[in-house]
Amino acid sequence: MRMDHWLFNCKEISRLVSESMDRTLPVFQRIGIRIHLLMCRYCARFEKQLRFLRRAIRVYSSAVDNEHHPATLSEESCNRMKCKLHDHLRDQS
Amino acid sequence: MNNPATTHQPTDPETWVDRYGNYLYAFALSRVRNPSTAEEVVQETLLAALGARKNFKKQSSEKTWLTGILKHKIMDHFRKHAKELNDLRIDSTETPIETFFTENGQWRDKPALWAADPHELFKQKEFLAVLRYCLSVLPARQSDVFTLRELDGLSTADICKLFDITATNCWVILHRARMLLRNCVEKNWFNDPKQ
Repeated sequence: MRMDHWLFNCKEISRLVSESMDRTLPVFQRIGIRIHLLMCRYCARFEKQLRFLRRAIRVYSSAVDNEHHPATLSEESCNRMKCKLHDHLRDQS
Repeated sequence: MNNPATTHQPTDPETWVDRYGNYLYAFALSRVRNPSTAEEVVQETLLAALGARKNFKKQSSEKTWLTGILKHKIMDHFRKHAKELNDLRIDSTETPIETFFTENGQWRDKPALWAADPHELFKQKEFLAVLRYCLSVLPARQSDVFTLRELDGLSTADICKLFDITATNCWVILHRARMLLRNCVEKNWFNDPKQ
């Protein structure tokens, strides 16, 4: 197990794995990642976990969109907004 | 109240807060984190919508239309926020990647095994709460960039333009955010012993 002497070390792999989620990497880097991930279970976990988190965030995001988000406006805030809207409507008329 | 008799008239704006207030607020809060900023952005959205009521097209629902305006307001907020962050040079307080690795680039804290079925996990409110917490404790700039990238799916090119940063800078910020987020979720949810 000499991945630290060969191609990329774990620190570089963590950077490249992240970058691969934002752009298409050059071929030699993609091959470097593949080989490293075959030999290093920690980086393999890391890669799987980043992809898992991306999916989790999409689920979280759609939970927000489907109104399953616990945040609610306080009554005070609602009233403040209603007043503002009311004022603007009056100004428009 | 002024209610011009056009056929494409949306609902009475005075009911917007009751109808969409909480939804818009939750949406904003998942992006901007700070409750008072979220409220401010929603307020701006509703006022902008009021001025632009004539542009409302019946093809989309009123909620979708308002969300579209909200998204623009959130972008405006990020743009302003980016300038403030640049002025404050907050970057120095952010965790450098080096702390995660030894001098020769090995993991200092090795990623643990996450024994979980993703499909089951995604159904759990508690897990999503941990995720929300971990997103909320990211440093300001990382949070802004990461949110736009992962929640709103912006390309790094668009993010670079918005924040006036280089692509490399953007990838570094996203890398840091992912490292911190992964660490946080692992600590707060997966307690399996290191293997």
